[in-house]
Formats: sequence, structure tokens, C-alpha cells
Amino acid sequence: MSELEISNITKDYGATRALHPVSVNVEQGEFVTILGPSGCGKSTLLRILMGIARPSAGEIRLAGARIDPLPPEARDIAMVFQSYALFPHMSVGKNLAFGLRMKNVPKPERARRIEHALEICNLTGLVERMPRQLSGGQQQRVALARAIVMQPQLLLFDEPLSNLDAKLRDTLRQELVDLHRRIGATSIYVTHDQAEAMAMSDRIVVMDGGRVVEVGTPLDLYRAPTRAFTAGFLGQTNLITADADGDRARLPWGQIVVLSAPAKGTVRVSVRPETIAIQQDEAGVGTVTSVSFMGAHALYTVGIAGTTLKVSQAGTESLIAAGNRVSLAFNGPLHLLVERKLQEAA
Amino acid sequence: MQAMLRDPKVQLALLLLPGVGYLLVFFGGPLVSALIGSLRLDDSSFTLQWYERIFTRATMLRGLKTSIYYGVAPVFVSLVVSVPLALLIRQSFWGRKLFNGLYKLPMAVPGIIVALMVIILAERGGFIDRVIAPFGLSLPKLVRDEWGIGVILASVWKQIPFMTLIITSAFAGIPEDIRHAARSLGASRLSTFVFVEVPLAMPGITAAILLTFIGSMGSYAIPDIVGPPSPRPLSVLMIFEFNEGRFAQVYAMGMVLSLFAVAVLLAYYALTANIGVSRTKGDE
Repeated sequence: MSELEISNITKDYGATRALHPVSVNVEQGEFVTILGPSGCGKSTLLRILMGIARPSAGEIRLAGARIDPLPPEARDIAMVFQSYALFPHMSVGKNLAFGLRMKNVPKPERARRIEHALEICNLTGLVERMPRQLSGGQQQRVALARAIVMQPQLLLFDEPLSNLDAKLRDTLRQELVDLHRRIGATSIYVTHDQAEAMAMSDRIVVMDGGRVVEVGTPLDLYRAPTRAFTAGFLGQTNLITADADGDRARLPWGQIVVLSAPAKGTVRVSVRPETIAIQQDEAGVGTVTSVSFMGAHALYTVGIAGTTLKVSQAGTESLIAAGNRVSLAFNGPLHLLVERKLQEAA
Repeated sequence: MQAMLRDPKVQLALLLLPGVGYLLVFFGGPLVSALIGSLRLDDSSFTLQWYERIFTRATMLRGLKTSIYYGVAPVFVSLVVSVPLALLIRQSFWGRKLFNGLYKLPMAVPGIIVALMVIILAERGGFIDRVIAPFGLSLPKLVRDEWGIGVILASVWKQIPFMTLIITSAFAGIPEDIRHAARSLGASRLSTFVFVEVPLAMPGITAAILLTFIGSMGSYAIPDIVGPPSPRPLSVLMIFEFNEGRFAQVYAMGMVLSLFAVAVLLAYYALTANIGVSRTKGDE
């Protein structure tokens, strides 16, 4: 039994369906990110988990007990908001004490937990401050402390870093990862930022158009996505149509490649730019149309058989100038995309 | 002349003139002249006798109490109606748009019309009395009654829309996330309302209280028409003294009323000084 079981949750607003049946299981202590573009239904799902929106159908179990009919205050869930949502009329200490007071936690226990939360969120010394006297990063840390002080069964994060500037975002992201490792709370993190999702998560739930597209570890989803949407959303990729026969396939320009699984007929594969080896070759079929040197790697655009491919070359000593002919080699077997998504991805 | 205009100090004074000058001439001027007038005898000598009369004469003292009563009582009644009304308007219900437009109408009705309306409706032998008479019922004395129920009714009728309008926007100004945060931290709807929404709406609520209090404490038409013949509030007594030609007395009474208004205003600032919804967005 998983700690959190979301089964066939749907949400309809009148005639429009915001969530198609969504089922996700989250294990105890796991950090799961729900990743998707705006309007993909991730926020709706979060509101349903929190209890401020009711699902149209389906059920949610937390630690075995059904929670979907319960109001927010009866769920053992705490949330960190994008807008921080601190109580502006209460000091940091009172913000942290609010939930404990509401849940009738005895006073000595309250003080102990607040002390601990302040310490692990680097807020010691700010307990008397009002939220308006804090910087954005400090405010978000208070919001985080206010959530973890509840020691909830489930922690929710709604794009908590997107109101912060880039540098602070990186710092706080690292702090969040460290914090999760220390307290091990089961967490669901909602974001549209794929870098954030990959850096923080145990698993990622990719959503699009109110559906779960794919679920997997960051490494699996990046290396071997089974959907074109996942491939395109998590970093850069090349989608190539190939003609498969067994575990071999012929690319449009005649090159034969190895597939990760046997297939027959027309298939599509996703190839990451960094898995293609590029070599200057007067007899090659590709032509470099542009090259951008990014420092750690060089990014080439290669025109080949009427399509363009992105190729990334790391640790290079010299660049291949635009206009030169090149040959490409594919390292390792190519991963097939699932057919069903062919039309949708087009 | 040209050189003088380039002096930043002169420029500053000129720029401030339309605002500060207006206040000085049309607000400060009358206030100061009323203060001086209230401290003078006919032969221009200094006196405190006009103030002494307010705080010693029985009619005046009762007038002062009545003024405060006519200011405070309607505010309480209005508040009890306006807060739930403001919460109701926030919900969506059938006919909300129509209601939203209609409830503001009383604001446009002058006090004297409201007073007459209360007389027509609520006096013994008035409209309501005649409607309920066939059922063997009759209205208690509501107009020109000892407790000033008629005055309170009329003031309340006029105040509720204004109060509701301000309180509605005070509640609407609270970000939804803050309410949701409170709920997710274990607060029920009621606790969220009491511990989060009311404190955050307090600046708006106290502003509404302040403005309606000052308005009804100083109003003349309503207590004069629907109030009891005795006691009369200071505002009504002022007109009486004015007609008697005792201007110095009128000034003194005006000063006392203004003093009360200022006291309430200061209390308002003290109450709301600690509440600030504004957030500074900066980085470390």
C-alpha cells in the first residue's frame, strides 16, 4: 500500500474536463514532482489534494484512509504556496504557531517544534519579525517552516521558487533537497520548470492537457521517454521517424541504427543531442547549418535528408564551421516512442 | 522673480500650495475661528464659560451623551448587519448582481427623506401599523421614543450600504492563498474568519466604523425629525442655540463634537498601526 493513492480523480468545470482520470501513487518519504506546462491540470490536482477543490469523481487515500470528502483542515497535509501566503498580521513565530494552535498541540511541544523548524530553515533570530520586514527568500523559508512544523503526512509545494530570482532559486532549491533528505516527509512538488523537477525529484509525473503523460525517475524520463511530449518537455531532443525491422531501424538518410526494443514498420525515436557523435567527413550526408559555442559544449544544427537535427558536442578542442559536411554516429540503442502519441505530438 | 521661482524651496511651497493651502483656508481657518469664537465673550475678553455650560448644564450634558449614543448605537447595529452581508455578497447566489446594485441605493437618499420615511412606515398609525392591525398586532412606540429607536433605525438604514461596501472590499482585498493557507493549517472556516480574515479586514472595518460614527453623531435632520423631544443631541441643540443668536455657544459645542471625532480618529490610527498587508519584495 502506498502512502498516498490517487485513484481515477477527475475534475469537470461545467462541460470542460480539467482532469481526465488521474491515478498516481506516492510512497512514504518520496519526493514526487508533478511537471507540466500551464493549464495541464497540475494546479487543479494540487487544489484537490489540499481540499479546496472537490474532485468530480475518484478517490484519494492518505496512509490508507480516504481523505477526498474531508475539508482541508481535517487533512494531515501542509502546503507551501507560490505567493508564500504568510499571515501579514502575525510575526514569524506566530505564523509558525498558528497551525499548531489550531490543531491543539500542547504549548511545550509547540515551542520545541517551532524552535526546530526555525533552525533547519535558517530562520533563527527572525522569530519576532513581521513578514513585511523579510526578503522574498526569507518569506518563502518562513512559509516552508510553517508547513514542516505541522509534521504533516504529506507536504505540498505549489511552485514555491518561481517568485524568486534565479540565484536565490538555486540556493533555495538546494536547501529544499537537503531538507527533504533530513526530514523525509512525503512530498508533492508542482512546477513547470523541468530543471527544478529533474534536480529535486525521486520521481516525476509528467502532465499535459489534464492527463498524466508519463511517470518515472528523472533519469529514466530523460534517457528513455516513451512519449514525444515528455521527450520535448524534459530538455532538448530530436524526433526522428524510422523504418523498423526487428531491433534494427533505417533512418530517412539510410543509416542503420540499433533499437532498444524490437519493432516493425514506421516508428518514431527520440534522440538527445548529446547522444549523437558528430565528425567532420567530406563524404558525410549531413551539413552543419549553424554552430553555437556554449562553453561546456557546442551546439550544432545539422541539415540532413530534409530535416534538421540538433547535436551537442562536449569537451571539444575545435569547432566544425557551418557549411562543412559531417557524419553522425548514434551511441547506444535508440528509444522508441509509443505510437499512440504520434498524432498528438505532431 | 525668475530667480525666486528657481529656488527649490519656493518651488516646493508652490507645489504644495493647492493641497495644503486648500486645507488651511477651508478647514483650518474655520476651525481656528470657531476655536477663538468659542473662547470669547461679547466684549472680546477670554472665557471658558461656554465650555463650562456644556459640561455643567443638564440639557447640554444629556445632549453630549445623546450625541455619543446616536453615534455609537447605529454603528453597532449596522456592523452586525453589514459584516454578514459583506460575507454573503462574496458568495455566488441567484440574483447576486441585482442585489449588489440595489443595496447601495440608500446611500443616495438624503437624511431628511430617510427620517420622513421612518415616520411614514414606523409611526403608530403608520404604514406597518396599519398592515399588521388586522392581525390584532400593533407597533411599539418607535418614533420620537425615549430610546431613540427611530433615530437608530433611520441611521442604520442609511449606514448599512456604505459600511457593507467598505467591509466587502476589505474582505475582498485578502488574498485567497492566505485563506487557503489557514485552512490547510487546520483552521475551520470560522477560525479562519476570526483569526485571519477579521484582523486583516480590520483597517477597512474600523474605517467604516469611524466614518459612519462621525456621520451619525453629527447628523441633524434624523434626530430632529424622528428623535424624542428630550433629550436632544448636541447637533440639534446647536441649531437651537444658533437660532437664539448664541454663536459662541455654537462654536464651543462644535469644538466638543470635533474633539470627539478626532479622538475616535486617533484611536483608529492606534488600532490599525500594526496591521499592514503590504509586502516588501526584496532579496537578501
